[in-house]
Amino acid sequence: MNIQNVNHLVQAYKVAPWRVQRQWIVNLLLAVLATAMVATLYLDVTSKAALAGREIQNLTAFITESQQRSGDLQTQLASLTSASVMEQRALDLGFRPVKSEEVEYLIVPGYFAPEPGVLSSASIPQLSALSIPPEYNESLFDWMDEKIVSSSRGQ
Amino acid sequence: MRQQYALRTQLVMAVMGFIAFAIIFQIVRLQNSYVTPQIKANELNGQTELHTIFPDRGEIYDRNGHLLAGNKTVFEIGVDLTSVRYPEIIASTVSLELGIDYSKILSDIHNPAEGVSYVVIADFVDLNKGERLKELKKKMKEDVKNGSVGDLTGLNFKAHPQRSYPEISLASNLIGFVNREGRGYFGIEEKYNDLLAGNPVQVLVPIDPNKAAEITHVPNGTTLILTINRDLQAAAEKILDDALETYGAKGGTIVIMDPQTGELLTIASTPRMDLNQFWEYGTIYNNASDFNLAISTPYEPGSVLKILTMAAALDSGIVTPGTTYLDTGSILVGGAWIKNWDGKAWGRQDMTGCLQHSLNVCMATLSTQMEATRFYSYMSNFGLGHLTGVDLSGEAAGRLKTPGDSDWYPVDLGTNAFGQGVAVTPLQIMTAVSSVANHGRSVMPRTLYAMVRDERQYNTTTQIVGSPISEATADTLSEMLANSLEFEGSAALVPGYRLAGKTGTAEIPVNGFYDSTKTNASFLGWGPVDDPKFMIYVWLKEPSSSIWGSETAAPVFAQIAEKTIVLLDIPPDNIRNKLVQK
Repeated sequence: MNIQNVNHLVQAYKVAPWRVQRQWIVNLLLAVLATAMVATLYLDVTSKAALAGREIQNLTAFITESQQRSGDLQTQLASLTSASVMEQRALDLGFRPVKSEEVEYLIVPGYFAPEPGVLSSASIPQLSALSIPPEYNESLFDWMDEKIVSSSRGQ
Repeated sequence: MRQQYALRTQLVMAVMGFIAFAIIFQIVRLQNSYVTPQIKANELNGQTELHTIFPDRGEIYDRNGHLLAGNKTVFEIGVDLTSVRYPEIIASTVSLELGIDYSKILSDIHNPAEGVSYVVIADFVDLNKGERLKELKKKMKEDVKNGSVGDLTGLNFKAHPQRSYPEISLASNLIGFVNREGRGYFGIEEKYNDLLAGNPVQVLVPIDPNKAAEITHVPNGTTLILTINRDLQAAAEKILDDALETYGAKGGTIVIMDPQTGELLTIASTPRMDLNQFWEYGTIYNNASDFNLAISTPYEPGSVLKILTMAAALDSGIVTPGTTYLDTGSILVGGAWIKNWDGKAWGRQDMTGCLQHSLNVCMATLSTQMEATRFYSYMSNFGLGHLTGVDLSGEAAGRLKTPGDSDWYPVDLGTNAFGQGVAVTPLQIMTAVSSVANHGRSVMPRTLYAMVRDERQYNTTTQIVGSPISEATADTLSEMLANSLEFEGSAALVPGYRLAGKTGTAEIPVNGFYDSTKTNASFLGWGPVDDPKFMIYVWLKEPSSSIWGSETAAPVFAQIAEKTIVLLDIPPDNIRNKLVQK
C-alpha cells in the first residue's frame, strides 16, 4: 500500500457521514451537559440559599418567642418576689420589722456604700459596629503594602 | 474492539443525556407548575406581606432593680377560614377550654364579614390556657391519623405581649396603667408612653426566604429605672392605710423626696387600684385628679405654708430669728379680722415661737409688713401657682391669687401667709420648701433615675430650678424649725435624729365658708437637718378622730421617718458626726 492510498483512506474516514453525525451528536450532548451543569449549580445554590433564608426566618421567630418567654418568666419571678410576698415570707419565718433604735451601725474604714440601680453593663457609649478583622476586608496588595510599611518601620 | 468502544461511548452518552434532559425537564416542570402563577403574583407584589409590629413595651424598675411593670405572654386565638375543616369541633373545644359561647364562635366562623378570611375568636388568652389548647390541637391531629373524626385544623395561635404589674397595686398612683391598645394612662405610663412603647411600625416582610436578611429589626421600648424605692413605697402605703383607719381620714398621701437631688423615693396615695385590672378604674375614681393626690389635687395646705412666709420675711430682712412682736390674738387685714388657731393672744414671741405655736397673727403681720408685691414675688419664686415639672402625667398647677386678679382681696395677703386661700399640691409645696432644706436651692422633683436602651444606660441629673432665698436664710430657718419641733416636743420627732418640720391644719371651704369641723391635716418635715436625706410630706383628708395636724399627721410623719431611716441606712446623728470627723 503506497502513501497515496493511505491518504485517501484517511480522507475517506474524515468525511464519512456517520462520523459527521457523531460529531454533531457529541457537540449537542456537550451543550446539553453544560446547560445541565449550570442548571444543577443554580438549583443547588438557590435551594441552599432558600433553606438558609427559611432558617433565618425560623430563628427570627424563635428569638421573638424566646424574648417573650423571657419577659414572661421575668414577670412571674417578680410576682413571686414582690414586696408583699417577701414580707409575708419573712413574717412566716419569724422575722419582724426592725426599729431604728435597734439598728447598730459600725464604722468600717474605707467602705463606701454601693451606688443604686445600674441595670445595663455598658453605661459608657461604645461603638455599635462590630470590628471586622483586616483579613476579611483588605486585599492582597493592601496586606503586602502593610507588611512592607511595617517591616520598614521596624528597621 | 472499535465497535465495543463505540457502544460504551454511546451508553455513557445516553446516560448523561438522560440526566441532562431530566434536569432540564424538572426546570421546565417547575416553571409551569400550578403554583407558579401564585408565586409570580407574589413577585409582582414585591414578595412581601404588610405586618404591623408592636415592639415589647419597655419595663419599669424601681431604683434597686425590682420590676414594677413588665410584660407577659398572652395568645390571640383565631380561625383561618380558608383552611378550617371542622368548625363545630373548633367551636365546642374552644368553648369548653375558654368558656366562650359555642353558638357565638360558630356564628363567627360561618358568617364572617365580607372579604374576611381570618376571624379572631379570643384575645389576651392566658398563656397556660393557650398552651393547653395548642397541645389539644396537636393531639387531635395525631388522633385523626389513627381514625378519629375531626381536628382543630384552621385554629391559629398568635402569641403577643401584654402589660403586667407584678406588684399589683403597689405604687399604682405613680405608675399608671396601659390599656389593651397599648396606650399608657396616668403617671409614668402616660408621661413616658412614647419611650416605653417603642414605635409601632408597619413593615413589609419578604415572603421570599432568600430575602430573609431584609426583615426589619424593630427595637423594643426603652426600659425605665425609677427613683422610687419599692420597699419604702410599700412601707409608706401600709402606714398611710393604717393612718386612714386610725384617724378616720377620707384619704391621704405620703410623699418622700431627697431634697438635695429631687429624687422621689415614694409617692403613696389613696385610693389605689390593681393595675392588672385597669378596667376597674371608673369604679374606683370619680375624677382623673383623684388618681394621684400628690400631684393632681391642689388644696389649701394651711400652716405648712408658714415655712415659706417666714423664709420670705427672713430673706427680705424684715425680721431675724430673735425679732419679737406682741401677739394680741388678732390682726385687721383688708377689713377682716384674722385670729390665731385657738383664738387666743400669745403675748411676746420671737420668730421661732411664731413657728412653734403656729401663730396666724404673726404670719399675717409678716406678710403685711412685706407688702403684697414682695410677698407674692417670693411666693411665685417658690413656685406656687406653677407646675413643678415633675415627670408624671396629670400634674395640676394649683392657684396663687395675686393683686390684680378679679378674685383677689386685700385680706388674702393675710390669709395666704398661713396657707388659707391658696391652693397647692403636696409636691408643689415640697419643691418650694426644698430650697429651705437644700441651702437655698429648689430642686425639680423627678421619678426617672435612668433609661436603658440598646444596652446603654442614661442617667438623669439633678436640676436646680431656682434660688428663691439665700443659703444663710435657708440654714437659719432650718435651725428655727428644728428648734421649734424640739421645744414643742412634737409627735413628729424620732429619737437620735435632728429633724425640721411644720404641721398644718387647714379648714376646708364648704359653700364659700370655712367649716371648722372639716380640715386637711398635714406635716412637712426633713432630716437630718445638717445633711438632709429625706423630705416627707403627709396629708390626711378630713381626719375625724382629731382635726389637728399635730395629733394626726405628725405621728404619721414620725412613723414613716423612722421607716425611711432604717430602709435608707441613715445612721443616728452621733454616728454620722463621727464619720464626718474621720
